[in-house]
Amino acid sequence: MQTPRLLVSGAFRFAIALALVFALGAVALLAIVEHSVSAYAVEAAGDGILAEHDVLVGEFETSGRAALIAAINRHTRAVREDQFHYLLFDAAGARLAGALPAAAARTGWHEFEVFDPDRGGSGRPVPVRAFGSRLADGTLLVVANDISDLQDLRTGLRTSTVAFGVLISLLALAGGLVVGTLFLRRLDHVNNAIARINDGRLNERLPRIGMGPEFDELSVNLNRMLDRIEVLMNGLRQVSTDIAHDLRTPLTRLRQRLERMQLGTDPAPVPEQIDGAMAQIDEILGIFGALLRIGAMEARGAQASLGTADLSEMLGRLGQLYAPAIEDAEHVLDVSIAPEITVRGDIELLTQAVTNLIENAMNHTPAGSRIQLELERDGDQVRLMVADNGPGIAAEERSRVLGRFYRIDSSRSTPGAGLGLALVDSIARLHGATLTLADNTPGLRVELLFPHAPR
Amino acid sequence: MKLLLLEDDVETRTHIVRLLQAEGHVVDTAGTGPDAIFLGTTGSYSVLILDRMVPGVDGLGVVRSLRAAGIQTPALFLTALGEVDDRVAGLQAGADDYLVKPFAASELLARIEALARRAPVADVATVLRAADLEVDLLRRQVTRAGKRIDLQQQEYKLLEYLLRHEGKIVTRSMLLENVWSFHFDPGSNLIESHMSRLRAKVDKGFDRELIQTIRGAGYRLDADA
Repeated sequence: MQTPRLLVSGAFRFAIALALVFALGAVALLAIVEHSVSAYAVEAAGDGILAEHDVLVGEFETSGRAALIAAINRHTRAVREDQFHYLLFDAAGARLAGALPAAAARTGWHEFEVFDPDRGGSGRPVPVRAFGSRLADGTLLVVANDISDLQDLRTGLRTSTVAFGVLISLLALAGGLVVGTLFLRRLDHVNNAIARINDGRLNERLPRIGMGPEFDELSVNLNRMLDRIEVLMNGLRQVSTDIAHDLRTPLTRLRQRLERMQLGTDPAPVPEQIDGAMAQIDEILGIFGALLRIGAMEARGAQASLGTADLSEMLGRLGQLYAPAIEDAEHVLDVSIAPEITVRGDIELLTQAVTNLIENAMNHTPAGSRIQLELERDGDQVRLMVADNGPGIAAEERSRVLGRFYRIDSSRSTPGAGLGLALVDSIARLHGATLTLADNTPGLRVELLFPHAPR
Repeated sequence: MKLLLLEDDVETRTHIVRLLQAEGHVVDTAGTGPDAIFLGTTGSYSVLILDRMVPGVDGLGVVRSLRAAGIQTPALFLTALGEVDDRVAGLQAGADDYLVKPFAASELLARIEALARRAPVADVATVLRAADLEVDLLRRQVTRAGKRIDLQQQEYKLLEYLLRHEGKIVTRSMLLENVWSFHFDPGSNLIESHMSRLRAKVDKGFDRELIQTIRGAGYRLDADA
């Protein structure tokens, strides 16, 4: 199967195309050369014939027809490399001098073949080019010259054109085969690596393709993509493990409760037991709900269509809603909201985020703590802050509390699934806002910084 | 009350029908959208209870068809589609309320009562009364037994909502949605705190407590209690 693969490979097709271009180029180049060379040779031959013709005409004009005949005979006998052939007919068509056949007795330029007179009229025919003219007394003078060299030159050029074309095409083809094989062998390494990754070896990476920086850049970029996918996959795996683990706890408790009810071992009255079971189910449903919201939000990603969210109005309403409950929990609520601040966003999701932050502050601080709710403009950004002066979160735990299901040990006894801040983080990312957890000396200070608030 | 229930899941349907019948309601049921449209246009119901994902025409289509046919029967969506966009779509289609599954029985019953009340619109009243409690909606003045009571804005809105649903149970999420315009269920007892402040002003020191807590359901302002 190696050969067909090679033959259909992109590199090989490219080589064939290249070979074709080379062949065409060679043909064109040699055609041009041939054309110019033969044009030059024809002209040179013509020039020689004309010069000889002019000499003979001059002889005739100065010394008369007898001198011309003598000159022709003399020239015929002279041994020259560039041997001319002659024909002289009088006005009546009788041969006066020269050995050319009678068929050559025409005026102007013409070409014909003669049997080489030097070889006794036998042998192969020789192509000649001739020029004829009538002299003043009606005598026809024809001067001809052998042009077999010119024909040989043309034939030679044509042969070499074809030979070179074929040779170059063969070379390009061979080159294509070599490059194609090389390419395929290198890509095979990459494909094998991808196959291994597909089989689940997510830590496998692609080898360098080589053959040039642009190919290496490709494999580097692909590897970067694989890195990102691996991180996401690990995150996903972590989440599903966490979900299974964290749902198991309340489900187990629910099962135990129902078992106690079945056996009648719980001293509490039945309606109370049912209430407890329902509360546990609600807790489980709450975890599902939060997960669904996070999942839906992350799926929506950046293409979420966000409207204008009036943060000032929403926080004002939220502050009024929470004030009595915060007071009843013996906390102090400080609200400071700059008016008419809007951001691009989904008001319900933002409400959810702030609610989670306030609930966290209420649930994880001792009585008497102060909870601050602030909204202000910061340059062209908007800062939303929920802070408390409770125990806070240790610096090394701050990034981890944003993960799903993460719970600080000290808060495991309080209700909740550890999804609150993960949800806030998702909502912040959806809005292009940054979520910061900082030390409020003492306490926790959570800030949401929204970019480029519309005015 | 005569109610129409559109629900394709047989178990859920049976559960809801029993629940409603136990409250003394008469329930017609439909399992598909076209059936619900047919019953809705031919029968006379106090409230329509509609699932969204049903065969044939979905719940949104049912409400649109009925509204287009000029039927203004209050409609409540009862559905598992609980995202913000879903609720907006439901209300835009012409429904009057939206309840997300899973739901508490008390929540469904309270919302049906509230919707049924809405039908004969009495919003033109300028004074709301319950026993010796009086709320002047124009002057925003509250008096009980002739004694003036000063309420904060939130407390006033809360009391007005209770009075408009006098004798009916209102749930925490109904109050959150209608008094504070929030569509979520916060973990803390936010409503309880507001309610205790309202009670301290409206009921404390009077012979009778008008605002009652209904265990596991919500609150009720009752003149005849």
